[in-house]
Amino acid sequence: MVRPNAARNEAIQVVLIFLVLAVMMIPIFWMGSAAFKYSVDVYQLKLFFEPTLRNFVEITEPPYLIQEKFLNSTIVATVTVALAIPLATLAAYGFSRFRLVGEKMMFVTILATQFLPAVVIVLPFFIMFRDLGLLDTRLGLIIVDLALVMPFGIWMIKGFIDGIPIEIEEAAMIDGASRLQVIGRVILPLAAPGIVTAGIFCFIIAWNEFLFALILTTNEAVTLPVGLALFKAEEGELWHYIAAAGILIMVPMWVLALLIQKHFVQGMTMGAVK
Amino acid sequence: MDDRRLKYLLVLPAVTVVLATAVWPLGYSALLSLRSWKLSRSAEPGPFIGLENYLWALQEEPDFLNAVWVTTVFTFWTVLLTTVIALAIAVLLAPGGRLRLTVRTLLILPFAMSPALIGVSWRFMFNPDFGLFQAFFATIIPPLAEVQWLSHPQLALVVVIMADVWGWTPFITLVFIGGLAAVPGETIEAAHLDGAGGWTTFRHVVLPQMTNVIGVAVILKAIFSLKTFDTVYMLTNGGPGTSTQTLAHYVYVNGFKYYDMGYASSVAWLMVLPMAVLTWLYTRFVFARPGRA
Repeated sequence: MVRPNAARNEAIQVVLIFLVLAVMMIPIFWMGSAAFKYSVDVYQLKLFFEPTLRNFVEITEPPYLIQEKFLNSTIVATVTVALAIPLATLAAYGFSRFRLVGEKMMFVTILATQFLPAVVIVLPFFIMFRDLGLLDTRLGLIIVDLALVMPFGIWMIKGFIDGIPIEIEEAAMIDGASRLQVIGRVILPLAAPGIVTAGIFCFIIAWNEFLFALILTTNEAVTLPVGLALFKAEEGELWHYIAAAGILIMVPMWVLALLIQKHFVQGMTMGAVK
Repeated sequence: MDDRRLKYLLVLPAVTVVLATAVWPLGYSALLSLRSWKLSRSAEPGPFIGLENYLWALQEEPDFLNAVWVTTVFTFWTVLLTTVIALAIAVLLAPGGRLRLTVRTLLILPFAMSPALIGVSWRFMFNPDFGLFQAFFATIIPPLAEVQWLSHPQLALVVVIMADVWGWTPFITLVFIGGLAAVPGETIEAAHLDGAGGWTTFRHVVLPQMTNVIGVAVILKAIFSLKTFDTVYMLTNGGPGTSTQTLAHYVYVNGFKYYDMGYASSVAWLMVLPMAVLTWLYTRFVFARPGRA
């Protein structure tokens, strides 16, 4: 009596799984397919259409010049990560291996930073950047993005260093290595996969960031997500261009996210869930 | 160099960056919130006016109270729906097998999308003329055929909630799958041996062991719901009228449309208060982990 019941249960579950899959993928698929449609096909509910790549070509032409936004996004995210990760690694080692005066206070501050509404942070920076001439510059955006990625970086890398047995370091110190040599020659190689993972995670966060870029850039330093708002004409939004730009925003991040998928949850929850 | 000094030097640069990029702006906006300063009229901060900005928000501004209400409704429904749906999907996907593992991998895709792009995509899906979801709902619920979702005050909020739940459920599902994997299999087998059915086992054996993970997920989602901006801005831009205007969007409009720096800062600070409570709750989960030196 148990067997047919189990088979029926599994069949229901498979149907439900495909339903979940459909709800999850349909918006992505529909938006994604619009990127390969001629504009006339976008404005009809057509499932079959003649695919084209011309949207991707046309968004690189004036006035859109999407490649400039792509370059801005790439530079801002890369430099942000390149600045944040070395500092985060040193701090993560310090937090992982030592007891510090005010340690808990520092933890709570770093954690709380992550949860601050971005709109609170951006107001003072807008005023400061206006005075310093940093509005609409990639440098300005990199500075505020540091606020965004730093806590994630520290937390994730600390999790990886926590997992390295301290005995390995002690053995190296007995052999006469200094603390800095231990960090450079023992910890860095062992934590490298974790550091790369944290770097990729921070890159995705910086790449997808929207509010800072919306407020602090207007023209020169506009990034891809803000660039989505460019595709407007008198007759309304140009969905075939928006969709093509959407592909440029999401596909590179999918590749990166799939590389580090196992650690995504740990990163986002700041180690509260392993 | 000895460790006693080195350990502080190690954390100093990172802590400095955090202080400069997050704590400084927080303090600065606290000061701004006590001033009257319209950037459109003056490039220099205006005089101190005490708590007047706060009192204005709380007593004189229906739009502020509206934003509080919208944010509350939005947060309530997104947290509830995301948690319940994610839990159900996690249970569905928890057993192994190729199909389930493939779907688990795909869960990362919506979450790796820029929230701004999610907002745009959903506006496309609900376009009155050629939106796929617009057509879908018109087919299954004929009275909705004539309705323009994004122009309707209540339905626009429903769409914003749907888009947010769509974007967050995959991630929370992954969190719950991790939580389910940590539930010892013996406890479930023991329940089955005692004759408990699937639902009873889940309700009385699995769920109690998941309280921590669910707690983390609920607080985390609540924090991110409270500060929602990107999706709202791209999907409805707060409209129609102010019917989908969240607090973050309200601060944005006051700060960067009306350039009222003082008032925007005070509302931003009113946002920080519930956030501080949630963050404090969250730290209890983070520090509850055993094994930290």
